[in-house]
Amino acid sequence: MKRFILTKLLGALAAVIGASILAFILMRIIPGDPARLQLGPAATDEALRGLRREMGLDQPMWKQYWIYMTDFIQGDWGRSFKFGQRVFPLMRSRFAASVELGITAFVLAFVGATAAAVLTTYRRNKPLEKVANGTAHIGLGTPPFWIGLILLLLVSQKLGIFPGPGRLDAEVAAPNKITGFYTIDFLLAGDIRGFLDAVHHLVLPAITLGLAPGAFLYRLFRANLLDVADSPFLLVARMKGVGRLRAFVRHAVPNAFLPTLTASGLLFGQMLGGSVLIEELFNWPGVGAAVTSGIRTQDFSVVQAFILISALMYVVISALIDVLYGVIDPRLRGQGSGR
Amino acid sequence: MKHVLRDRALSIALAVLSVVAVAAIIGPWIWDKPVNATGSSLLDSRLAPSWAHPFGTDQSGRDVLARFLSGARISLLAGVIAVITGGLIGGALGVISGARRGWFDTVVMRLLDIVLAFPPLILAMGIATARGPGVTSAVIGIVLTTIPYFTRLVRSDVVKINALPHVESSRAMGASERRTLLRHVVPHTASTMLVQSASVFGYTVLSLAALGFVGLGADANTPEWGVMITKGQSEMLNGNWWMATFPGIGLLLVCTAANVVADRVRVHLHSPAEGAADPDVPVSIPSISPIGVSG
Repeated sequence: MKRFILTKLLGALAAVIGASILAFILMRIIPGDPARLQLGPAATDEALRGLRREMGLDQPMWKQYWIYMTDFIQGDWGRSFKFGQRVFPLMRSRFAASVELGITAFVLAFVGATAAAVLTTYRRNKPLEKVANGTAHIGLGTPPFWIGLILLLLVSQKLGIFPGPGRLDAEVAAPNKITGFYTIDFLLAGDIRGFLDAVHHLVLPAITLGLAPGAFLYRLFRANLLDVADSPFLLVARMKGVGRLRAFVRHAVPNAFLPTLTASGLLFGQMLGGSVLIEELFNWPGVGAAVTSGIRTQDFSVVQAFILISALMYVVISALIDVLYGVIDPRLRGQGSGR
Repeated sequence: MKHVLRDRALSIALAVLSVVAVAAIIGPWIWDKPVNATGSSLLDSRLAPSWAHPFGTDQSGRDVLARFLSGARISLLAGVIAVITGGLIGGALGVISGARRGWFDTVVMRLLDIVLAFPPLILAMGIATARGPGVTSAVIGIVLTTIPYFTRLVRSDVVKINALPHVESSRAMGASERRTLLRHVVPHTASTMLVQSASVFGYTVLSLAALGFVGLGADANTPEWGVMITKGQSEMLNGNWWMATFPGIGLLLVCTAANVVADRVRVHLHSPAEGAADPDVPVSIPSISPIGVSG
């Protein structure tokens, strides 16, 4: 078991290092001179050379990588010239906005998906099943940014139920920063109006972001539930006199839930990392929006930091899931290398 | 064929895809209106749908239906190219890894882990920026993100098939390793490949639109669905709903149909990749990331 966990962790570490090298190379082969971009076309050769030296661009590639990584680990993520700020605090403040949206969307998706899957398999209610399956297909097949646009048009503009883009109404001031989550910060400040406004603004982007993962989880969980429903052990349980509800809750659901749980973990990780398109559409000041603008303006440090964090998150979560699986299902332990 | 006709969802999905494909191929000839600024008149800009312009016109007076049809061509072609290249590269890697195992397998799997750990949208965006934006760059980026999924599924199939009795008997009868692989192993990965291709097709169409939407796919004048949605976005909130709505419906139809096909084919063919828990397949990896490039 120890060996198993160790191999998984080493593999995860290798993947993160690999991703960081790939990110570094990708950022360096992109045409354009960061020093020139930062100083503008009127800069003198003198100034350009000075800045290049300061940014370490005159060093050989491997050395630049080494310097970057050692700085990164120490929390020095470089400087964003677009935002005129150091990247670490920039990302930290934007991360709160992304995480708040990500958690809300994930909770909506997870609760909706499991509830729908349980209801449609336990009752085998045809009309409900059709609606849920149809919604899931559309959720997976439609570009989220388009759904978001339609929601903005219909629900926000035409019906006026939910507000338009942004985290708060224009006349509501942002709360004092404690956690960075507006909803929690308003509650801590005892400002109910502000809290409601923040929640109000969360609904549409969260639905848009949660739709595709929710649809995916619903289909996965449902497929596994239907699989388990046909398995002999369930029949045995029923034959021994276990009631339908109890058989379902105690025997079917736990056995069918594992794949959904792991998929949820990975999706959660991805959703926390900020959603580039939805943040752009809803004018949400999160990490994703910063990255899109970072790519457009070749703001290397922001993009690089984002790649590293996402890769780290992905790798850590999938390694955790693998280890968890090994703990739960001993059959999977033998093949430490067979990832 | 009978199977196909009896399955209503599958028939409808295939019908939708065929209609869009036919429209994409012959549509631009029949509905022969200018899709670019030259030849259209600004006097016709922002016209609501009518007989002369069934999908209305956009800001520059271009016919939205004509652009929709050209957009269908771009999207479907991108999807087909991505499936072929991604499938060939990913499939070949999967077959070799699964058959040879050893160091080659380890190296390939580690490299693919790195690609998987990379946020897909960023990978595609990075390539678009490095090569200069455009449909080709976007498709290259998207293909890169799909390869790991092809490879993993095919590899796990090959590992499993390799252990089946018919493969063993082929070897026992003295068939070469190569012949055994090509004649008795690879053909059995077809169902996995077919299912995976349908998912990847939908994923590619969606991702291309997503990249177009953020301005890193097709350029602003190309009649690509994602770009059309971006340009229609501001107009939409002014009440001119048709510019962004129709390309969105096109995406919805094509991608949903592709997903339904993948789903139904999986049910009919029972790919060997499913079934008992297999230590080689990470349970946590779906056949394609549901958030992927479009998140």
